[in-house]
Amino acid sequence: MQQITSFIKSFTLFELARGLWLTRGYLFSRKITIRYPEEKTPQSPRFRGLHALRRYPNGEERCIACKLCEAVCPACAITIESEEREDGTRRTTRYDIDLFKCIFCGFCEEACPVDSIVETRLFEYHFEKRGDQIITKQQLLEIGDKYEAQLAADRAADAVYR
Amino acid sequence: MSDDTVSIEVDGQLLSARRGAMLIEVTDAAGISIPRFCYHDKLSVAANCRMCLVEVEKAPKPMPACATPVMDGMKVYTNSQRAVQAQRGTMEFLLINHPLDCPICDQGGECELQDVAMGYGHGVSRYADTKRVVFDKDIGPLIATEMTRCIHCTRCVRFGEEIAGLRELGATGRGEDVRIGTYVEKSVVSEMSGNVIDLCPVGALTAKPSRYTARAWELLQHAGIATHDCVGSNLFHHTRDGRVMRVVPRENHAVNEVWLSDRDRFSYEGLYSDARLRQPLLKEAGEWHAVEWETALAAAGSALMAAAPQEMGFLTTSSASLEELYLLQKLARGLGCANVDYRLRQPDCDDQAHDPVMPWLGQNLGDLEHLQAALVVAGNVRKDQPLVAHRLRKAALDGAQVSLLNVRAYEQTFPTLVNDALAPAALLQELAGIAAALLSQGAEVPAQAQEALAKIKPTTRQRKLADSLGSAERATVLLGSGAQLHPGYSVLRQWASVVAAASGSVFGYLPEGGNAAGAWLAGCVPHRGPGGVSADTAGQTAGEMLRTPRRLYFLHGVDPEFDFADPQLAHSGLSGADCVIAVTAFESDALLEHADIILPLALHAEIDATYVNAEGRWQNANAAARPCGKARAGWKILRVLGNRLIDGGFDHNSARAVRGEVQACCESVRLDNSLPLAEALRVPAASRGLLRVAEVPIYAVDALTRHAMALQKTGDALRGAVHMSAAQAEKEKLTAGDTARVTQNGSSAVLLVHIEDSIPNGCVWIPSGVPGSEKLGPACGAVEVFKA
Amino acid sequence: MSTAQQGVELSEHARAEIDAWLQRFPYNQKQSAVLAALREVQHENNGYLTTPLMDAVADYLGMPRIAVYEVGSFYSMFELQPVARHCVAVCTNISCMLTGADTIVAHIEEKLQIKVGESTADGRIFLKPEEECLAACAGGPMMQVDHVYHTDLTIEKVDQILDGLD
Repeated sequence: MQQITSFIKSFTLFELARGLWLTRGYLFSRKITIRYPEEKTPQSPRFRGLHALRRYPNGEERCIACKLCEAVCPACAITIESEEREDGTRRTTRYDIDLFKCIFCGFCEEACPVDSIVETRLFEYHFEKRGDQIITKQQLLEIGDKYEAQLAADRAADAVYR
Repeated sequence: MSDDTVSIEVDGQLLSARRGAMLIEVTDAAGISIPRFCYHDKLSVAANCRMCLVEVEKAPKPMPACATPVMDGMKVYTNSQRAVQAQRGTMEFLLINHPLDCPICDQGGECELQDVAMGYGHGVSRYADTKRVVFDKDIGPLIATEMTRCIHCTRCVRFGEEIAGLRELGATGRGEDVRIGTYVEKSVVSEMSGNVIDLCPVGALTAKPSRYTARAWELLQHAGIATHDCVGSNLFHHTRDGRVMRVVPRENHAVNEVWLSDRDRFSYEGLYSDARLRQPLLKEAGEWHAVEWETALAAAGSALMAAAPQEMGFLTTSSASLEELYLLQKLARGLGCANVDYRLRQPDCDDQAHDPVMPWLGQNLGDLEHLQAALVVAGNVRKDQPLVAHRLRKAALDGAQVSLLNVRAYEQTFPTLVNDALAPAALLQELAGIAAALLSQGAEVPAQAQEALAKIKPTTRQRKLADSLGSAERATVLLGSGAQLHPGYSVLRQWASVVAAASGSVFGYLPEGGNAAGAWLAGCVPHRGPGGVSADTAGQTAGEMLRTPRRLYFLHGVDPEFDFADPQLAHSGLSGADCVIAVTAFESDALLEHADIILPLALHAEIDATYVNAEGRWQNANAAARPCGKARAGWKILRVLGNRLIDGGFDHNSARAVRGEVQACCESVRLDNSLPLAEALRVPAASRGLLRVAEVPIYAVDALTRHAMALQKTGDALRGAVHMSAAQAEKEKLTAGDTARVTQNGSSAVLLVHIEDSIPNGCVWIPSGVPGSEKLGPACGAVEVFKA
Repeated sequence: MSTAQQGVELSEHARAEIDAWLQRFPYNQKQSAVLAALREVQHENNGYLTTPLMDAVADYLGMPRIAVYEVGSFYSMFELQPVARHCVAVCTNISCMLTGADTIVAHIEEKLQIKVGESTADGRIFLKPEEECLAACAGGPMMQVDHVYHTDLTIEKVDQILDGLD
């Protein structure tokens, strides 16, 4: 019996017709494909992209070298060295993130007591030579400076849930 | 059950306890945890933090476990609702004024307050008013303060009063205005002050040199041994990325208890001094070139081969490890040269044939605190061996009569019977006088001394000292580290041993450096081989090697300017050599001037090493940190040189193998300080003219300490200066603040004048081993002082 | 811990006074006299203590200096800053507070144009900060003016007392 059914189905190209029917259905439905890079998906304020170090409005860097991000990082991507700055405050002398190691989990951001290390909405970046993937304190601060308005808005939007 | 023990019940668990013990001692011993801040088992009970409140049955309110003595049948609940409620209440009050700045606090991660707050704190504070802010005080280069964090446990205050013996910190003000501090702006001057960093349960007192550089969780802990004094304190090196970040004490009740002297704690900074040598250097035609190890070792090897064995001199210091000392003498003797010595600061070795196998304390360190009388001859124990001074202090507070006779009346932290300054000759006469007083009391005095004693009429002080030593059941005479600088060291030692023998006291040594005992056991002296056996052919002592310059000097860990009692003699000796090979860790102008080949040496935290302390305790530690640059462990350098030059005997694969070899040599060593006496003892007459006396100050004892920046900023880091009594200054027509030209054996230096009444007349006190005095002659000797 | 560096020495009278107090205590507990000594020294020094004076007391009694600072800063009857001639202390503890001490304090502050803890510009009156119970609860509100108790105060009575000070 089964053999007969199978014979009829294959002889009448039933499976093919069923597949094409599905295709036809999608042919007329709304398209969800994004034409990247002309089009982009919307991002959540919690989007976890490239890292940045933020500053206070008066220009003082936020980071106090508590090293909690370094400690919490599951990929050991962060390297920090610290010392006492001239004015007696605790500051980093080195803040490196190895983006090859980073898994963008966002733990660093959550551990930070002063909202200094954050993840921006940037995800489009590339490196051209070996060693470029380690971004330094200076680069991180520059990213922070550049996107501060967006970063502050995102933190504000998320503040009610924290 | 005996009368001395009671049984109590804690959380349903039956415990027996010593009658009169505090509850917290009993629960600690049983492993029941009670939170606390102010209680510390080495300090008195203050009961002011109230964190250890527990419920005691039938007591109307919760009781502090640290101040509640146990009573028979007592029932205690440490976890009951009432106890926990009390503890939580206390915690909430403690946190009211605490800044909660854990992210920037160096204590974060190892903080008692943080830990206890995790267990007993609320998630959210109910306190909404302004927190108290306390301005920080600068209390010196070693301790950083952040007094807003202080919870007023007063451990630091009690430490100062009870352990350090210097009441420097106090709690001023009242109520909310209480401040811990010195009240007036001043540095704390205790040589054990760093311990308050460990005692502080919060981050109010932290280590200044390592401030903000590392977090507790990043550090790896390596057991180590301190190498700056003959106590051999046990410590931990905390390293990050192969670099020592800080040093903390390692508990060993037989050695350092739970304490550490500042010198042992902060000397690690020297490891990363800019003066550290990072690669081998070779001098060619007067120019220094950095070279590879292979080249440098080949150069050193051929220089050693070229020199006639008797024309070489091998010098090292008592800071070197047992392995290095052993291989150094093995290398020297293997090359046929017996001129090997570590005693760079001991001009008088006349009596060396009678030296014991090693300079031994004569007792255990712990025995010192049970003494009834002690006489320290020529030793500033408080600065030389701070933890020995701590033991003596405990004895003194317990009623022991501790006396010190020195070239200067050094301030001590405990009550002393006698603490007087005596010129070098007067010191000998004083000891003879004490022996005479003992003789007149009917004590047995060795025959060799009796003739000299017949003419002496003891003074009151001598009688007092004789009484004190003679009548005590447990007494000791200790020859301090300053004795070696004495121009008549051998006579001094003989008289000290006569006094000890006649008074029935234990005779002991407090040798200089961290490993003088090890140097003797390793055979790093010209007349003794490893294990203390007499050498076949006795070589020259350090002094002799320099007086009749050798063609080649091999300096192991020696700083030509500051490690010798007579830097001018060292200068002339080294200048006369064809070749100087220096295996050393620090660069200096003098080294670059004298040396021809420099091999960078790894220091104590960077090597596997063994040290023998004054009580004969062998202590070894493994490397904690990565050697600086291309520096290598001393035993490896010496082994390679040995392998190149000598057939066999240098095949050690590890420091442990070297240690095993020394141990085998020392199997039959018996420690015994008894001193065979010379024919007839003399009492030399006082010399005429002005005499220089000295000590090696606490932070000048070895190269590592001299390069530790924070220590060099303290008040104890002395510079070359000429100290004298007011009467002496008047005689020399000098006043405080003048500059004086000091001349010794033809070399001279211009130094500042200080007036101190602690110095005997006829003497000027000029510290040895510090910048400013390196241009002068012997630490103890004739001197001329003129107004510059 | 040498002798007082600033060269401040106790007056002969102060030393005699301290010696008299020392007679009352065991010879090996000289520190017992520290309160009396500080009181005497403060009295001689226009009503306040200085660090050199406390040092001198410490050296005289053989105490660590910090221990004397602790005592001097703890007790409210010792002043560590220069103060005016007359010391006025209004009790504001519970009994006095219930009988209106706060009004009295407010009145004095208004009248003298100073806050508690301050001295008048003419150097006449010093108003102690927040004085605690002076053990005269039955007569509250009360104040102490130069060691003399004045009880059952009214605004008029306060005015009269204060105006009477030179």
